[in-house]
Amino acid sequence: MYLYLPVALTSISILIPVGLGLAVGLLSGLFGVGGGFLLTPLLIMFGIPSTVAAATDSNQIVAASTSGTYAHWKVGNVDFKMGLYLLLGGFIGGIVGVQAIKLLHAMGNADFVIKITYILMLGIVGVYMFIESLQSMRKKKNAGEEVAKEERESAVGRFLKSLPFQTRFEKSGITHSVFVPIVLGGFVGVLAAIMGVGGGFLMVPIMVYMLRMPMHVVVGTSLFQILFTCIEVTFLQAYTNHSVDFILAVLLLLGSTVGAQVGAVFGRKLKAEQLKILLAGIVLAVTVKIVFEVTLAPSLLLSQVGGH
Amino acid sequence: MKNFRLLIADCGLTAVAVSVLAMIFGFAHPASAMLTAKANHDHITIDFFYHGSTVSVKGEAEPGTDLVIKITSPEGHQVLKRKGKVAGMLWMNVGQLTFEQTPDFYEVFSTKKLEDILSREEMEKYVIGYPALAKHVEITPVANEEEKAKWFEEFVKFKEDSHVYAASAGKIATTMNAGGRQEYYILTDWPYQAQPGDYLVTVYAVKDHKVVEQAEARVNVEQVGVVKALAGMAKSSPAVYGFLSIGVALGAGFGVSMVFRKGGGAH
Repeated sequence: MYLYLPVALTSISILIPVGLGLAVGLLSGLFGVGGGFLLTPLLIMFGIPSTVAAATDSNQIVAASTSGTYAHWKVGNVDFKMGLYLLLGGFIGGIVGVQAIKLLHAMGNADFVIKITYILMLGIVGVYMFIESLQSMRKKKNAGEEVAKEERESAVGRFLKSLPFQTRFEKSGITHSVFVPIVLGGFVGVLAAIMGVGGGFLMVPIMVYMLRMPMHVVVGTSLFQILFTCIEVTFLQAYTNHSVDFILAVLLLLGSTVGAQVGAVFGRKLKAEQLKILLAGIVLAVTVKIVFEVTLAPSLLLSQVGGH
Repeated sequence: MKNFRLLIADCGLTAVAVSVLAMIFGFAHPASAMLTAKANHDHITIDFFYHGSTVSVKGEAEPGTDLVIKITSPEGHQVLKRKGKVAGMLWMNVGQLTFEQTPDFYEVFSTKKLEDILSREEMEKYVIGYPALAKHVEITPVANEEEKAKWFEEFVKFKEDSHVYAASAGKIATTMNAGGRQEYYILTDWPYQAQPGDYLVTVYAVKDHKVVEQAEARVNVEQVGVVKALAGMAKSSPAVYGFLSIGVALGAGFGVSMVFRKGGGAH
């Protein structure tokens, strides 16, 4: 059955957005990412204008992350205190990032910088997570090697401990200066604004490797943080660009809210290393896809203004 | 040019509307008509389940004439992103191109290949066919004619990909009727990608490489019901629309969570 999308001004088989929503929701519940880096290009591929695809995607992420946050909160896997500090940083970073984009557009090479940032970020995160989770899987079998890693960490740990305003994050079982999550959240905020994505795929590794939060709390906290970011983005897109398609969002969220619940349940059955290596695999697959996209000659040399 | 009369009928329209339209066009092009045209589905409504439509044009023409049917949207201004190679190997958006005097929708059908029935001058005069449209359209910034031709070709590819540009020969069926007149008929798919608005159907009768008669009809595409209400709201009350979108998303997220909790699936 086909439905007409009043803002996208196109018609789509309902199976496509519901199916895509389900798949992306599943990833969201599993890994704590919004999935915008996957869903937006897929929607464009199915004929949705790029501006509408990006804006509507943030609208459906509101639903998926509400569903996912709830599922993780129920089993005590959301660190609200950490989430709020990251949000504060992300908010400031977003403002800086938007200004950076304006500057890049004025300099005339915005697209180049955006694409290269995207490829580098996805590539670095994917490779690092992949190697790290492979190593930690091996170390589980070979516990002796753990000592060397602990020593290396303590140097960074000493620096972080020397910062003022140390505070305890009970849920994650860690102590950090309040500046650590604010600065890291700000860093993700800048990059997310430049790349036009929610930044979950950057936030998750940062929480795991730099804040050293337990993987299952990372997923829940990331979703909590994404929920607020996407509420803000959806409103701004609807208000300033009129690019949120309500019908498309509803079709997507029919799938994604259910997918997020299933993902959260399924995720608890997996070990942290397994989750990390799966996410690394997806991030690397997307990186390879984008690399192909920019190196192979495109079939169409013209595209609509807006989006990527 | 000879006089002609155009008749429009619509299965969906009332007989009154049909006769009013016929009268309007009848008065505009009085009596002794040789070319008649009858278009159905000239009012396409986009509702919730819209997935494109069909439009047919039929009528009578003088025997021995060839026919060209052109359907266009009003001409306007379009800006598109242009891809190019950066650092010799990476395909990226490298700038924008502005297309002036360009219709968003352009379809041309003819009984035979355009270049076999029309002279280049006539095609250009009436903007019939891609080469004529290429000459008519203004593209900026381009360095020279060669570059303009290249980007017009890309533009047509882009538009054909979204089914809003088409050019084909041989789709118009013609027969001779009892009165010794030539009848023509075409049924064409109306793409769902064609945006709401007014479309102009022009029928040209062609003889000896020249346009000898022409007739016009209009096709109106309009959003109705829920589609119209939502599209209107997104533009006229964006804040309410934004809150509604967020509210529904939050509600759905919580709603599904409740269903899962009741079902016990989460534990």
